[in-house]
Amino acid sequence: MEFLFGVMLPYTAFTVFVAGTVLRAAGWLKTPVPFQLTLFPVPGSIQGKIRSLALDFFFCASLFREDKALWLRVWLFHLSLGLIIAGHVAGIYYLREQFVLVGLAPGTSRLLSKLLGGTAGTAMVLSLGALIVGRIINPVVRKLSVPEDFFNLLLLSAIAASGIFLYLPVFHVDLPAVRSYMGGLVTFRPASLPQSPMFLVHFLLVNILLLYFPFSRLLHSVGYFVNRSVLLESPPTYPTKEGAAPRSAFASSGRHAGLHASGREPMDMGGNP
Amino acid sequence: MNPPFHLAKKEDLKHIGIGQVDDSAIKARTLKLMDEFRKFSRSFSAMLETCTRCGTCANACHSYLGTDDFNNIPAARAGYLRAIFTRYFTWYGRLFRRFSGAREFDDDTLCSLVSYFYQCNACRRCALYCPFGIDTAEIVLAGRNILTSLGLAPSFIVSIARNEILTGNNTGILKPAIIDSCSFLEEELRGETGLDIKIPVDKPDSEILYLPSSSELFTNVDTLMGAAKVFHHLGVDWTLSSVMLEAANYGLHFDLEILKKQNRRMRVAAAAVGARKVIQGECGHGWRVARMYSEGADGPVNFQLEHVLDFVAARLQRLSLSRLPIRATLHDSCNYGRGTGLLDSPRLLVRACVEEFVEMTPNRERNFCCGGGSGLLMDEMKDLRMQLGKMKAGQIKDLQPLDYVAAPCASCKAQLPLVLKHYGMGDTACGGVMDLLGRALVMDNERRIEGNATGNHVK
Repeated sequence: MEFLFGVMLPYTAFTVFVAGTVLRAAGWLKTPVPFQLTLFPVPGSIQGKIRSLALDFFFCASLFREDKALWLRVWLFHLSLGLIIAGHVAGIYYLREQFVLVGLAPGTSRLLSKLLGGTAGTAMVLSLGALIVGRIINPVVRKLSVPEDFFNLLLLSAIAASGIFLYLPVFHVDLPAVRSYMGGLVTFRPASLPQSPMFLVHFLLVNILLLYFPFSRLLHSVGYFVNRSVLLESPPTYPTKEGAAPRSAFASSGRHAGLHASGREPMDMGGNP
Repeated sequence: MNPPFHLAKKEDLKHIGIGQVDDSAIKARTLKLMDEFRKFSRSFSAMLETCTRCGTCANACHSYLGTDDFNNIPAARAGYLRAIFTRYFTWYGRLFRRFSGAREFDDDTLCSLVSYFYQCNACRRCALYCPFGIDTAEIVLAGRNILTSLGLAPSFIVSIARNEILTGNNTGILKPAIIDSCSFLEEELRGETGLDIKIPVDKPDSEILYLPSSSELFTNVDTLMGAAKVFHHLGVDWTLSSVMLEAANYGLHFDLEILKKQNRRMRVAAAAVGARKVIQGECGHGWRVARMYSEGADGPVNFQLEHVLDFVAARLQRLSLSRLPIRATLHDSCNYGRGTGLLDSPRLLVRACVEEFVEMTPNRERNFCCGGGSGLLMDEMKDLRMQLGKMKAGQIKDLQPLDYVAAPCASCKAQLPLVLKHYGMGDTACGGVMDLLGRALVMDNERRIEGNATGNHVK
């Protein structure tokens, strides 16, 4: 059991998460974009395009422009998620004494770490709750929703809640034990799982999330970049530069070239120039 | 099947190279076509697979806001195809059908696709709203391509595409009629200005090939006459072409093979008159196809390509205009605003032509579609189109009293007068930007000689 949950599961989950996400993204990126689908107005410079992507990535800028109420819920959730992921890495590695690096006393750092982690966790649970409620009370969004949409929000809520429960004395988890276990996973010298039922619940849920991520709509986080970069492409200029490679096979042959199974024969109409 | 338009007959489809598919083979063929499309275009699968159904697009869409039909919400419209895609092309959709919102391909789905993919004007306003950059117009146009290959396409669009293929223009007229119409318009111009203003057809060794909307020879004549006056005044060496008397390309609306074919004709027409530059007239989707699709559809382009409004705006200083005593606004065609970024030149020109210019709210790339885009101009859809024009009507109502809506796009020119009348604004006129220029332009009294002695052509 220990081997199954403590070793097999996390390695499998992490591999599926990384490989699955990369393969899905690669699947999109290897497909050509046969035409410029520029959505104007579009920044002309590379810096402008990166800035536009970054504003959306860090601040959900286009959602802010269109729907401020939804933006608040969405941004609060993603911000707290980002802070929590960063906090997990730093907090576990430095045993909550990461703020010593910026000049605080060890005791103050531990207190601040707990305070920040607790606040971000609470913000995450609240914003997820608001997203679920928003999906239910808006009749249009409720009708658009499918079970997966609620499942994703509930899974994330469960992960956040089980994480917050670890703060309660009754579910106490020994941080050095977590650190040696996680350190063991990272260095491929697996150590034993920390002895805390709530930690095991939290850890199991995260692994389920990682396993499920590449196949679910949670992949919007990656798809966003793929879509936006298509819409941000600069328009073509004419005459075309000498020696430019064709955008796709369509430019020379056609979508149905060689695909007689699709039932289209090459057109040869009368009256052609 | 009961879509809001007439489906093209088998023989009509055959004329444009499209076969029919037996009812029993429709499902298999659809899935095959979807598989082809996802390998053909990145936007198809990426945009089908990233929607989180957040509903932000609902408020973007004039079609949903005008018809109040849930299925016209972009996420719901694309959702039909998304559900089939999930069911047949993702393993989690195959395993967890209800959970993932996957849907079996059946007759109901097919009917919904046919009906709702043709209630979208492909205006791309939802792409501006979508937090994930999903351009539902892309999904709709891909879906229409698939339906076309199944033998399901509106009779109206098919008949126009057939005209384009046979004659190179939407109205289906041949060279003698083109020359007749142009002589008639030249007469009109002579009567109006006393000048010998030419509308040349197939003039060899012309600097510029001008592609108007063919409707400008019949219904929107003021637009072509305005262009002829301005070109004359600027001393432009230009010609129309009987090979391609059309900026429009209905292939965009339903079939990329036809888009490709019609777009290729532009090269033949330019070469035939020796033009180094092609200027497109007032046609929204036509300009998007020319500017954004030419290279992708038919490879490298060896001439310059410019829109007439950009061309004239760059030479505005050389025009003497007497402002018309009217209050006018500008309707940004979706294919100009979001589609090609043609936003400043039309404003500059309208401002220069009228005494009072007012902006709609919202405007520029946030403008609402008039409801006439993407080939939905068939008569049988008129009632529905008035609903599609509801948001636009509201925008114009806010500006009343208003004399003129400048809409430099032939589809908008066909739709907007009906919308204005339907919503009780029949006194407000609608027409092009070139029309205004033609009326405001103070012509020289000296007669310009074509290709004048100094060789001082406008390039």
